[in-house]
Amino acid sequence: MIKLTIDGKTVHANPGDHVLDVALENGIDIPHLCHHKDLFPSGSCRMCLVQVEGAPRPQTSCGMTVQDGMVIDTKTGAIEAMRRDIVDLFVSDHPLNCVICDKNGSCDLQDNAYRYNIQETSFDFELSRPKYYDDNPFYVRDYQYCIMCGKCVRVCDEIVGANAIDFSGRGFTSIISTPFEVPLAESDCVFCGNCVQICPTAALLPRSKIGKGREWEMERRQTICGYCGVGCTVEYALKDGKIIYAQGTPDGAVNGEFLCVKGRFGWDFNSSPDRLTEPLIRKDLAYELGLTDEPWEMPKTSALKGKPKLGNFIPVSWEQAIDITATKLAGIVQKHGPDAVVGLTSARCTNEENYLFQKFMRAGVGTNNVDHCARL
Amino acid sequence: MSAIIRLGMSTSDIAAGAEATFLALQSAVRHRQLPVEIKRTGSLGASHREPVVDVEIDGQSTLYGPVTPERVRPLLDQHFGSGGRGVSSDWLISRRNDRSDYPFLGKQVKVTTRLCGLIDPYSLEDYLAHDGYEALKKALKMSPEEVVQAVLDSKLRGRGGAGFPTGIKWNLIRKSPNFPKYLICNADEGDPGAFMDRATIEGDPHKLLEGMIIAAYAIGASRGYIYARAEYPLAVSILRHAINQAREYGALGKNILGSGLDFDLTIKEGAGAFVCGEETALMHSIEGKRGMPTMRPPYPAQSGLWGYPSNINNVETLASISSIVLNGPDWFAGLGTDKSGGTKAFALTGAIQRSGLVEVPIGTPLRELIYDIGGGCADGHDLKAVQMGGPSGGCIPANLMDTIIDYDELRATGAIMGSGGMVVLDDTVSMVNMAHYFLSFTQDESCGKCVPCRVGTRKMLNILQRLLAGRGRMTDIDNLRRLCITVGQGSLCGLGQTAPNPVLTTLRYFEDEYMAALEGGANGNVQAQLAAEVTA
Repeated sequence: MIKLTIDGKTVHANPGDHVLDVALENGIDIPHLCHHKDLFPSGSCRMCLVQVEGAPRPQTSCGMTVQDGMVIDTKTGAIEAMRRDIVDLFVSDHPLNCVICDKNGSCDLQDNAYRYNIQETSFDFELSRPKYYDDNPFYVRDYQYCIMCGKCVRVCDEIVGANAIDFSGRGFTSIISTPFEVPLAESDCVFCGNCVQICPTAALLPRSKIGKGREWEMERRQTICGYCGVGCTVEYALKDGKIIYAQGTPDGAVNGEFLCVKGRFGWDFNSSPDRLTEPLIRKDLAYELGLTDEPWEMPKTSALKGKPKLGNFIPVSWEQAIDITATKLAGIVQKHGPDAVVGLTSARCTNEENYLFQKFMRAGVGTNNVDHCARL
Repeated sequence: MSAIIRLGMSTSDIAAGAEATFLALQSAVRHRQLPVEIKRTGSLGASHREPVVDVEIDGQSTLYGPVTPERVRPLLDQHFGSGGRGVSSDWLISRRNDRSDYPFLGKQVKVTTRLCGLIDPYSLEDYLAHDGYEALKKALKMSPEEVVQAVLDSKLRGRGGAGFPTGIKWNLIRKSPNFPKYLICNADEGDPGAFMDRATIEGDPHKLLEGMIIAAYAIGASRGYIYARAEYPLAVSILRHAINQAREYGALGKNILGSGLDFDLTIKEGAGAFVCGEETALMHSIEGKRGMPTMRPPYPAQSGLWGYPSNINNVETLASISSIVLNGPDWFAGLGTDKSGGTKAFALTGAIQRSGLVEVPIGTPLRELIYDIGGGCADGHDLKAVQMGGPSGGCIPANLMDTIIDYDELRATGAIMGSGGMVVLDDTVSMVNMAHYFLSFTQDESCGKCVPCRVGTRKMLNILQRLLAGRGRMTDIDNLRRLCITVGQGSLCGLGQTAPNPVLTTLRYFEDEYMAALEGGANGNVQAQLAAEVTA
């Protein structure tokens, strides 16, 4: 255990810990823009500079490992003045369009401008990279808001492994780019959108979010992603009961803050008019059971061809649906034996549901004919 | 009679027309069937007189320059023919072997550039004839600890500019328990106007290789890289040739000179980014990544190239090693000051009468370098300042010319020793303009990673542009000072941290020019200069 002093407070840390993480864990707030707990420190935003006793110049706390007996001051006058200047430099190259910005309320740069009371830059306002890319169905890239923190590059490299983007150009006009500025779809991008989630500003925004409401109007609801067996935690931002966007949450037990393309962008089925929301039975059976007066016959063409026709069905209650299914199933078992029945379940059900299903097939129906779509 | 004619064929000689001179010389010698060996050498350093020809007959050397093709005939007549018609004293440089009749050469003390201009860089025999690889043989008989101790005792400090003691650096990596260890030579000489490393490599490549092999032995490195500028094609080809020769000679590869030491070298050519002279960016570039600096610690000695301990030294540092080993650390330390031993090479350029590559002992007063060796400003102008260390350095005004060339003394003036760029500025130069020039260079070469360097230098440049255009605002000078602190203290790597130095030093010594510019733009600047001239 290492003992060090930060702002006069004695704190304990493990060898190898970084000063910024230790400070944040101990409730000492050090401003930062390019730091993320799951990424290697880069030291590019220069906001987390602190004064270490005995050091000739301020040091970045995000990449500095703790040492026993270190004495650190995070808020000297000189350092706070420098941080203010750094935010001032950031906003000299970033339009303060907060009023119309979709990131308003969840923007790290805005928070720091507020913290240092910066309404506008005291230097010349000059946009270095006014480039806007709208080249894919999932997210837009508006580089006038980019502050070059490099988090997107690091998450793409360190977490996703796609390495679709990197720094390009140099000096003032350097920019985050795909190789040779090809459209994202032609790059190695897998559209997981983790860069979008991690972006501190409005440079990367989910398309679904643009113009759909302010951050503080949105209700947050956590659930488990239904796509595969990993079971990632997803948080949906909803407005008026409709999903606006999805994201990971820092406390996600399996996935941390990160999601794949399906979990992050594949939720539009939720409010699709094609979605089945109640049990339906076919009209011929309904007529047989006296649920409708209209006689109906199955067309001779294959049901698998063409679009499913909801007109061939009538809605029933859950009780009725289960009752009909149970009666029919029992009839088949009695007539042809249990092995005439096969059960196929889905990866989109939970483990518990899948367990119950096989239990039902084996103990209830009495067959081992049970399988699963993911058993390849 | 033994006669050798040496002709400088370095990049700077070629730029001055040495190829035509060589062809003229070669055909004339063949035509006359003279018993003369023509040797193509590196640069002697006297750039202001290139192409330079050295005629040595029975050990007596006469130096001429500039020697155009037309001057070859009278020159040969003088030495091998009917007599001295046609040889003008205008292009006679020196008649004495010690060059005491030409202060530009006579006043220098050459260590790393000693053989430049004397030997053929493509000839290993030439190098061996001048004690070549003797230092390596001596070092291999010593223990690695003794070699490191010798470098410590020599008081050699890093010649790349920062001046970290080389022996301490070597000790750090020596003690690292991790293997393999890498030795990297930084030959990415990027400062505008600096060409010390190029001249050293083009004149005497084996001296660098020998230094590197000794360094590898001392620190326990098994593999070395030379990170060279791709803009130095001649230097790179000479180095490749020398590496192959060294391999054949047995000085590189497995079991070097029968000692059991294994070490080999690879050349990595840079792609032209100034920031790749910064050691972490340089290592990323070798790894094939974008040359961008990362935070230190971890220092290269802990985790460098591919995560292994690495030691990076500058060309001049490594080229000093063989002399230290061969002549002893005391001799080397004795050349310099109490804290810093040896000599330093400078690329003397700008408004100077005698420009070129000069090497002087550490501790030499600037005045001696500028006036005695360089001959003062050209065209009768007065000296205004000297810009040292390129865009990372600062200017030293004329009234501080008694400052001695030493890391700490120079730093006290606000300038730095730097890698050796020395631009002489005369009284016609606007210092605001000068600061603008160097800042526009660093601004352009910023890698874009951290905001103080990427945006801060741009804002500083905007202010300087405004001042020069006569549209300065009252807040500009204050903002400039503020930015100097934020950029200098807040930047991630050396490039940004030193970028404000030209502005800081000109603000310190020539604030009146800034004020005049604020009042009247470029005109004000000229007026301030006139005023300064009148009062001087």
